[in-house]
Amino acid sequence: MIEIKNVTKKYGTFAAVNDISFDVKDHEIVGFLGPNGAGKSTTMNMITGFIEPTSGKIIVNGYDVSKAPNKAKMQIGYMPENVPLYNDLTVKEFVSYMCELRKVPKKDRDLQIRKIIKRAGLTEVQDKLIKHISKGYKQRTSLAGALVGEPDVLILDEPTVGLDPKQITEIRNLIKKLGENHTVILSSHILSEVSQICSRVVIINHGKIVAVDTPDNLESTSSEEDTILITVEDPDNKMSGIKSRIKACKEIKKIKELNDGTVQYRIVSSKDAEVNKELFEVLPKENITICELRKEQSSLEDAYLKIINEKDEEIAKEEKREKRERLARQRKLESMDLLERRRTIREEKRKRQDEIDKEFFDNLMEENKIREAKKKRRQLEKKNRKGDKK
Amino acid sequence: MWAVAKKEFRQYFLSPIGYIYIGVFLLMCSITFYTNIFLSQSTNFASIFSLGATVLTFLVPVLTMRTFAEERKNSTEVLILTSPTSVKAMVFGKFLAAGMVVLLSIACTFLYYVILSFFGEPAFSTSLVAMIGFALLSLAYVACGMFISSLTENQVVSAIISMIVFLVLSFLSDVWAGFDPFSIIDAFTTFESGLISVHDVVLLLSFTGFFIGMTVLVMNRRKYVK
Repeated sequence: MIEIKNVTKKYGTFAAVNDISFDVKDHEIVGFLGPNGAGKSTTMNMITGFIEPTSGKIIVNGYDVSKAPNKAKMQIGYMPENVPLYNDLTVKEFVSYMCELRKVPKKDRDLQIRKIIKRAGLTEVQDKLIKHISKGYKQRTSLAGALVGEPDVLILDEPTVGLDPKQITEIRNLIKKLGENHTVILSSHILSEVSQICSRVVIINHGKIVAVDTPDNLESTSSEEDTILITVEDPDNKMSGIKSRIKACKEIKKIKELNDGTVQYRIVSSKDAEVNKELFEVLPKENITICELRKEQSSLEDAYLKIINEKDEEIAKEEKREKRERLARQRKLESMDLLERRRTIREEKRKRQDEIDKEFFDNLMEENKIREAKKKRRQLEKKNRKGDKK
Repeated sequence: MWAVAKKEFRQYFLSPIGYIYIGVFLLMCSITFYTNIFLSQSTNFASIFSLGATVLTFLVPVLTMRTFAEERKNSTEVLILTSPTSVKAMVFGKFLAAGMVVLLSIACTFLYYVILSFFGEPAFSTSLVAMIGFALLSLAYVACGMFISSLTENQVVSAIISMIVFLVLSFLSDVWAGFDPFSIIDAFTTFESGLISVHDVVLLLSFTGFFIGMTVLVMNRRKYVK
């Protein structure tokens, strides 16, 4: 169980991750999607305790990553992006080093090293130097490092990047198998991968979460229209007149003429209108033969692009608005005389300071409240304990 | 801590750096042994360390330049920092590993003592004091070099800055007499003459401790600024 509560990471004034919150349940595989620089790796680094959030809380299996880092880190196996490895160690030495770092008891070490090497499919290369093995094996070695110590939670940052299709399927199957008794968070650029492996998807853009849902739900909500691809033999060229005869049909568009004299059209209709039936009834009457008819699946990719684009537009709008406000203020200031301008600026400053002060005091009050509540609880507990003793 | 120390120590000898360090160090010792002891027919074993500070100035940076800089460049530090091993243990482990290489090289100088004792009667206690003093001085250099390595991700930059710092350290007491009580090289010369003074031991150990502490601080801070 991973709980991420209002986590923010700022670099100067730039917020790489901005107030995100989500939960990952036990034995769930969650996919982390987003364009480059969206804050995926930053979030993962924060969960693993590699970097400290500016504000917010991350709790892994009940341990706060900032307050009990060592206990929390015991719960997490991390496969970082770009697979950092020690090139002058052999695969076996690397796994054994990770065992020592992760404090695996000495008596279990040998057995665990053997088990992990077998599980990650590294038996053939276990005595080779890491710098001499192929990229696929390097990826597996890094994954093996994450498995050391049998952690409950696995965090995999782009585990299949740069692999060939066969290796990708192998790693994917391995992750699926691991998901049976681990909680897994993985980030990826490959959307089909996420929809295949993950039970839930978190889409993140510009440091903010834009969607959390199952892949299926995301796919179905992405489109308001159904699209049908149809290939027909149409000797009399009657296809363009069909539109008026089918009510639900919004648009018929010719895509291309194929070599065998057939023509492919795209038919767009309103959602769940069941146009196929009507097509099968109407077209034969017009002497049009249907060679192929299939529904165009709206994919996770569409959903993803749609969500990301919406967010981008929103941000662009926000920026535009801010710019407009700034310009308006400047123009207003320019139209005033010197004294008036000074007064306005002073007033603006005071207002801003007041806002900051108010926020500060509000926070203080809240903290006090929490502290008092804790105190009360402690006193109550003490009383109870005393009562027990008596 | 031992996990990191063991691996680092092994890595020194998987790469040529460990051998280079010990080899060059012993070569310099041989030269001073020849000129200061053999040619002048002296039995003062401590004088083989007469070039010691200069040798350390150029050798220790080679040893310590990779400690943190290499891990930062290859981003392998994430493996240690996301494991339950603490930052303190990591820094101590690395210091121990580099320190072990240095101590190993100093232990090798015992051979010169054995050779010398065939030809004369060197004073054992003063020789031992000189060796202890040199060991403390080397560890202080290692701690300082390690700290500089933790500041950068480029090994060459780390080595050059370390050399400059060590050079400044060795010249500073000549330039400004007020620095004398804090000069670790002056502290070593007392050991060389066969004396152990509390001031010198405390100075060398606190110098070492200070830089180990600073390295821990730098590594802890990485969590916030990275």
